[in-house]
Amino acid sequence: MKSQYFAGVDIGSTMTKVVIMNRAMLASVIGPTGPEHRKLANRVMEEALAQASLPFDDITYVVATGYGRINVPFADKQITEISCHARGVSYLLPRARTVIDIGGQDCKAIKLNDNGRVVEFVMNDKCAAGTGRFLEVAAEGLGIKLEDMGRLSLEAKSKVEIGSTCTVFAAQEVVAKLSEGVPLPEIIAGLHEAIAARIHSMVGRLKIEREVALTGGGAKNIGLVKALEAKLGFPVLLPPEPLLTGAIGAALLGKDIVKQAAASGTPLPRSERRLQEVTLFTR
Amino acid sequence: MTEEKKPEEKKKRKTATEAAAKIGPMVKAMIADVLQARKEGKPIAYTFICCCYDEIVRAMDIVPAWTENYAGICGAKRDAQRFLERAESEGFSRSLCTYALCGLGFDAWREQLGEMPPDAPWGGQARPDVMLGSGQILCDPRNKWYQAAQHYIPDVPVYAVGLPWPPYESDYDYREVQDYYVKYIVEELRGLVAFLERHTGRKMDWDRLSELVDLTDRTWNLIWETYELRRAIPSPMGTGDAMNTMVPIVFMMATQQAYDFFKELNEELRHKIANKEGEVPDEKYRLMWGGGLPAWFALNDFNYFNSKGAVFPVETTYRTVEAVYNFDIDLSKISDPLEHIAWRWVKFWTYWYDKARKRPGSHPDVERLIQYIEDYKIDGIVMHEAFSCRTWHVGLIWQLNRLKKIYRDIPSLILESDIVDISSYNEADTRARIDAFIDTLEAVKSKGK
Repeated sequence: MKSQYFAGVDIGSTMTKVVIMNRAMLASVIGPTGPEHRKLANRVMEEALAQASLPFDDITYVVATGYGRINVPFADKQITEISCHARGVSYLLPRARTVIDIGGQDCKAIKLNDNGRVVEFVMNDKCAAGTGRFLEVAAEGLGIKLEDMGRLSLEAKSKVEIGSTCTVFAAQEVVAKLSEGVPLPEIIAGLHEAIAARIHSMVGRLKIEREVALTGGGAKNIGLVKALEAKLGFPVLLPPEPLLTGAIGAALLGKDIVKQAAASGTPLPRSERRLQEVTLFTR
Repeated sequence: MTEEKKPEEKKKRKTATEAAAKIGPMVKAMIADVLQARKEGKPIAYTFICCCYDEIVRAMDIVPAWTENYAGICGAKRDAQRFLERAESEGFSRSLCTYALCGLGFDAWREQLGEMPPDAPWGGQARPDVMLGSGQILCDPRNKWYQAAQHYIPDVPVYAVGLPWPPYESDYDYREVQDYYVKYIVEELRGLVAFLERHTGRKMDWDRLSELVDLTDRTWNLIWETYELRRAIPSPMGTGDAMNTMVPIVFMMATQQAYDFFKELNEELRHKIANKEGEVPDEKYRLMWGGGLPAWFALNDFNYFNSKGAVFPVETTYRTVEAVYNFDIDLSKISDPLEHIAWRWVKFWTYWYDKARKRPGSHPDVERLIQYIEDYKIDGIVMHEAFSCRTWHVGLIWQLNRLKKIYRDIPSLILESDIVDISSYNEADTRARIDAFIDTLEAVKSKGK
């Protein structure tokens, strides 16, 4: 029997992620979604295909997720990022019952049942506080790289209190703290504390059940992870590559769909696939 | 300049029932009637919904101008921003009730111009002769909006009618104190009648009032019976339509038109049920709109739910009637019409008290949700947190959590935006939440199989 391959494409507001799987992950590519790259989701897919040494036609099923999911013409099906993150986490971290996904421009918490299915979720409101964008703006104001924030914050002996929950005002506040001579690590630790408090209060809407898994770009920031663990009062679980969780879940849901269709003898639900340039604005 | 801003384009929402489709023209005619009354010199009263003075105003031939309705129309037509901005420039906080802000901005503008603001939706809101506030359900705009409006129309007097009801306590029977409440409300209503006679020159026609009280009882019964038809599977009418059919309930009560409307809707629903015509062709999920005023500018979201096979057979919002024959007193035996109104009021607000007391940890609002879940075979609950309406929305999350604790876990979705302020709304975000909620419903349903 011919091998089956499944692709998951997660077009987030900041990063585009593609994985190709059969029994295990064969390829994964992460690239920025940015205004130019939005047109190039297919190239990210082509890169993943090259990595897996597969032609596109060999991909049995493609599932797109993330905010840009409806604009992926080479996808067979679109599934929400909530479901994909749930599936991804239940595969990678089966003990997890709560997922906190800290993305570039949103944050969500998902409660899973014992079968890894979504039973409840909450998402942040239309405010950047509590998302990766909050830290991105702050890093810009501090003149440091986003990826250095976690490491730097661990050097802090104490942390400043960031009063503003508004991203723009918080950025102003950190610049003011800097000019007052507050050490950089203490400011960054304060930022992590602020964002963790925001996320923790949102997640509190769900009854948090252990274990808690952290996904998305925020999970790559050790300072934020520590701050959240302090709020939760217990350690969280982290996937090997937090950014890929949604794409992995998408690929696995594709696999589930194919399996179910085969078991029931029904035709595979799929649309006409076109591997070509796409934008978020036209189909 | 705010004055030059044009409203955003809005697509017309598709309704499931023919009756709901008739509401738009009815509201338009209602606004036109108020404008015509102004021309003819008939007394006009600014009025709020659910203040139980419908029969009184109509028996005195005073024309009600429903200010919440007009703000909602501005919101639905996506033309509220310029009035909100006007109120803001007058010094009102943007975090106040946006119905009130919209109305205040409109009044300020109209009074400054001495005529309607340019291109006012459906001709505008006429200047009133009196304003009838109230002190019920802790809704601060009901007390403060019209007082604030007096900044612009200082010659227009306000009467705020006190309309309390006994608070719920799990360990005592409200009947011990209900007589005091009724007595108080009757006095308040007598004061209202005297106020209206003094300021409008109209005399109360007590016989007419008794007729309208009876008509209102009959209309309440008919509405309740009509909405109960929506229990059918597939459900013939959803909350999207109910956000239209609320118009006769809250803006046309005590009129033959409201009664006739529901008679017609009742017949239409019976016909649909007989023919198995549902709100959508393939009903998959039955949802309850469990609280919160809608985003008037985004009623198309109900169609989006429909496109996923989700229907709303029931809602708590604007279901502001019960069948009066289900009350524990016989209202028909009360001869004084004001006392009749007061008893109906108290019995409506205490309707779920007895049931709540029987279930440990319950509350009347939660009990109502439970009853609807069972009666209408509900799969999930959707609520809307409108940031500017503290009164209605402050307890929604608590109700949901309490429901899940004392009854059972049920998928739920909280939407966030506002009633009028479109800047609070993000369509992509809202629809992403709806998509994810549908996934959750599907997961729960497939687990049950």
